[in-house]
Amino acid sequence: MTEAATATPSEQARKGLMTVGTLQKAVAFVVLVLLLGFFSIFAPNFAQWSNMVNIMQATAVNGVLGVAVTFVIITGGIDLSVGTMMTLTAVVAGLILTNLGLPLPLGIAGAVLFGGFMGSISGFSIAKLKIPPFIATLGMMQIARGLALVFSGAKPIYFNDTPSYYYIASESSISLLIPGLEIPNGVLIMFGVAIISSIVLTRTILGRYIFSLGSNEEAARLSGVNVDLWKIVTYGVSGMICGVAGLLISSRLNSAQPALGLGYELDAIAAAVIGGTSLSGGRGTVLGTIIGAFIMSVLTNGLRVMGVQEEWKIVITGVIIIAAVYVDIMLRKKG
Amino acid sequence: MKKLIAALSAATVLAGPAAAQDTYFPIIAKGFSHQFWQAVKAGADAAAERNGVSITFEGPNTEAEIDKQTDILNAAIAKKPQGLGFAALDSQAQVPALRKAADAGIPIVAFDSGVESDLPLTTCTTDNLAAAAAGADGLAEAIGGEGKVAAIIHDQTSATGIGRRDGFLNQIEAAYPNIEIVDVQYANDALKATETAKAMLQANPDLKGIFASNEGAAIGLAVAIKESGSDIVGVGFDSGKSQKDAILDGTLRGSITQNPVGIGECVVDSLAKAMKGEELPEVIDTGFYWYDKDNMDDPQVAAVLYD
Amino acid sequence: MSETARAPIVELTGIGKSFPGVRALNEVKLDLYPGEVVALMGENGAGKSTLMKIMTGVYQPDEGEIRVDGERVTLPGPTAAQDLGISIIHQELFLMNHLTAAQNIYIGREPRKGMGMFVDEAKMKADAAKIFARMKVDIDPGQEVGELTVARQQLVEIAKALSFNARVLVMDEPTSALNEREVEHLHTIVDDLKAQGVGIIYITHKMAEVKRIADRIMVMRDGEYIDTLPAAETSLDTVIQMMVGRELASQHRAGGEAQAEEVLRVEGLNRGRMVENVSFSLRKGEILGFAGLMGAGRTEVARVIFGADPLESGTIHVHGAPRQIDSPKDAVENGIAYLSEDRKQFGLVTGMTVRDNITMPSWKRFIKGRFFMRDGAMNKVAREYVAKLKVKTPTIDQETRLLSGGNQQKVVIAKWLLRDCDILIFDEPTRGIDVGAKAEIYTLLEDLAAQGKAVIVISSELEEVLRLSQRILVMCEGRITGELDGRTATQEDIMTLATVRHDEVA
Repeated sequence: MTEAATATPSEQARKGLMTVGTLQKAVAFVVLVLLLGFFSIFAPNFAQWSNMVNIMQATAVNGVLGVAVTFVIITGGIDLSVGTMMTLTAVVAGLILTNLGLPLPLGIAGAVLFGGFMGSISGFSIAKLKIPPFIATLGMMQIARGLALVFSGAKPIYFNDTPSYYYIASESSISLLIPGLEIPNGVLIMFGVAIISSIVLTRTILGRYIFSLGSNEEAARLSGVNVDLWKIVTYGVSGMICGVAGLLISSRLNSAQPALGLGYELDAIAAAVIGGTSLSGGRGTVLGTIIGAFIMSVLTNGLRVMGVQEEWKIVITGVIIIAAVYVDIMLRKKG
Repeated sequence: MKKLIAALSAATVLAGPAAAQDTYFPIIAKGFSHQFWQAVKAGADAAAERNGVSITFEGPNTEAEIDKQTDILNAAIAKKPQGLGFAALDSQAQVPALRKAADAGIPIVAFDSGVESDLPLTTCTTDNLAAAAAGADGLAEAIGGEGKVAAIIHDQTSATGIGRRDGFLNQIEAAYPNIEIVDVQYANDALKATETAKAMLQANPDLKGIFASNEGAAIGLAVAIKESGSDIVGVGFDSGKSQKDAILDGTLRGSITQNPVGIGECVVDSLAKAMKGEELPEVIDTGFYWYDKDNMDDPQVAAVLYD
Repeated sequence: MSETARAPIVELTGIGKSFPGVRALNEVKLDLYPGEVVALMGENGAGKSTLMKIMTGVYQPDEGEIRVDGERVTLPGPTAAQDLGISIIHQELFLMNHLTAAQNIYIGREPRKGMGMFVDEAKMKADAAKIFARMKVDIDPGQEVGELTVARQQLVEIAKALSFNARVLVMDEPTSALNEREVEHLHTIVDDLKAQGVGIIYITHKMAEVKRIADRIMVMRDGEYIDTLPAAETSLDTVIQMMVGRELASQHRAGGEAQAEEVLRVEGLNRGRMVENVSFSLRKGEILGFAGLMGAGRTEVARVIFGADPLESGTIHVHGAPRQIDSPKDAVENGIAYLSEDRKQFGLVTGMTVRDNITMPSWKRFIKGRFFMRDGAMNKVAREYVAKLKVKTPTIDQETRLLSGGNQQKVVIAKWLLRDCDILIFDEPTRGIDVGAKAEIYTLLEDLAAQGKAVIVISSELEEVLRLSQRILVMCEGRITGELDGRTATQEDIMTLATVRHDEVA
């Protein structure tokens, strides 16, 4: 037992190919499959391709926002502003395209970059002004919400002058290439964001620093990592991803609705947590978050198709969140 | 009693130094950023200018924030205005706060939904039950009086949500024995309404029509119909550009509009009348219209629609 | 190591550093030659850490100069020091548990590919593997650090330092969490590094270690440089005297008489592989030592008695009656207190005041009218215990995190005394406590026994066990392998029993 070279139990577990992280993801995936199975049996008309498309489309916004908070949560922070930031970037796209009449690419770039800019401001107040992330992003949540109303004059902005805007989320470009594969663009964009984010988190310098910040910020600082800079970058990236979500939701509704967005941050955080991202930082995966977002939308869709009341749907979602974190804790103990 | 309060307050205004200043009415709505409230504000602003009074128009962020609205109310009372317009989020809970205003001799006009008390001199409102019943009629007519229908309601606790839900359901049950209501769900924003409507279509492939109880729900319903390529009949409530466009291009069959501009005007006009000591009826119905592709451009309809 | 042919790698002269209200360092000097180990000694608060932080670029000195290879340098940050080959291994390991060993080693300077965007994981792992090979350790560079034992995490820290081509390595109490075998392994690595010409500054409180590896001993006290002496010719007593500025009676032996009354009897206690058939008794006024190597099962026995872990079989008698102890609450109600070695994690609420910590387990006693705390009474009692145990704190409203280790320990003791605990189990009571305060804690434990408390001391420091205990139980691999009389036992006796193999006992 006291032999320094002896492998610890978890080292042995690792060699057995099953780390706690993969186990967690596997559990979330199993839950997803069980839910799909359950609703296929008990909810008539649930198990149809058209409904799977419904579910994927319903996952897109929450999935993308979930990825945005995953970045921040892995650093040990939190971002409460993702919902209203999404709204604000949608409004910015509307200003550029409808009010200024500029071409579509500028609107897309504008929304994403503005999201990145606002996110960096959150990052700056956290890194440089030392405001706790909860407070800084709580403030940003209100700032974004207020600015969305101010910029839009508290009125929805419509994209009727830019007809192609609607195609960002709602049409299925891939079905032109592969007939029959009617997956809406918004869903493909979500998967695209997920894949890129996953690569950023696992393969790039930025990802490495994001994990090191959440794992032990002081250690990272003493190792010469420019902790403040990377924090600002992380919140900036999170803001840019919110910009993508802003494009998705406003494309689907063909309008930027300035009053919407409050409450979306909690769904996004829930998706990340169900997917195994640790709120204490240092641990989390994009794949887990996407699975978490799918669990939430399958649950919502399935209960709606079954005709279960909204009230109970909310209760059941709450139970799932607590159960997911409990499973995580149990796995961690045993792992 | 009402007359007395009105007379008293008018007297104070005339007698006190306040008479020299501008007459000021705070108008407290249930929301601010929603299109509907912006239209109410437009009506109130117009009436304020006409009557030569100044107003402020405020409201909480969401219709769930009863406590915030009460704070706004208290702050408004503290400014000792000459009159107060109030759209109560909760028809009972806010009565004590309103009593403070009444005790201070401030005339109160309720709007949008009533207050269960005799404190307001009058209430400027849409009869939500009757309006939603007209929506039910429109929907029933479009589907030929038979088949399955469902409803998406914007809120399960507010007076407008409950009124429109019950107005729709009661009318279908009472007047259309061959129509079956298969589902009633709640969705408080356009995106959630979209997913809800799509789930309804999924669960009931033979659904004939869906009623959506406010602007957000109607936008969501339109998006869902468009995305799913379904040919069901959609009927909305309120207006807004998205909804109007959806009616014009046939995605939605029609909608019920209240008269938000009229509500705003009614509030300010009634307060001005109260100051002059005029008597007011208990309820002023500001009216509603069924509108569809055919009558959207009628002047009297077009006047109450907003973008 | 003072041959004139050799020049020091690092030389610090006239270093002064002040913090608001504190003169942390005054006119301190230090020199380090290639291939030597300088043991830096001093009580906690003597300024060792501050000096090391200045040498490694974490702090900037107010006065004095730093020379590396004879050239005057300024070190604006840790990176600047690392670039000059000066690295530090902190006492609290500064590793990122969720990252792999290789990722930890190269954090902040990852080899990159793909236009600098991507981390070259393969090269990083290979480089890390080379360093581990040079250290003769077999750690998988792809292993997550959180899954490694503390000893192996320490090795990752050393590998990290070496990856900077460190010529100067500062090790801050590197063995405080290691067992004997791991310590020996570490010493071998230190020997290897020495042979490769690395200069090492080794901060430790353990005298035996100093004798084993140090070439010179430098002593600091109260932010001042005291002296540097060749290790071979310096007695430990001299060092201790220099550190505390007074003589210590370190060779003192246990005194005191246990009374006849048996307060605790444990019979046939079993739990897993770490507690096997453990039986013993404890009498009033006795100090019973538990000796053994780390991982021998001593802490595990204590945890079972304290109800923190469930027992599988066996009985616990308190004051002659069998007791069911299922939780720490049961234990405390039976007058049993456990004082963990990890005070910050288990013993103290560091963010709360001395008063609140002392009174916390007894809060029920200080309630009036069901809801209100009797602050006046609490203050009085807290002051009483602070005085009785000589806790050095400006006021009882001081947050305990601001106290020294020794005083924190006293606060923990106070809290259990106030709760009427008469069986006190101390797990490593002086870990992380400096030499001067140790003696005070020893006196305190003896006073407690003399007042009729029954005390169990679990300690890995043989001198400590011998110094305190009237009786010594030695454990190995979950079993009690022998009992010794504290007055006559020697370190060798204990070590023999502590390394008895399983089959030999059976």
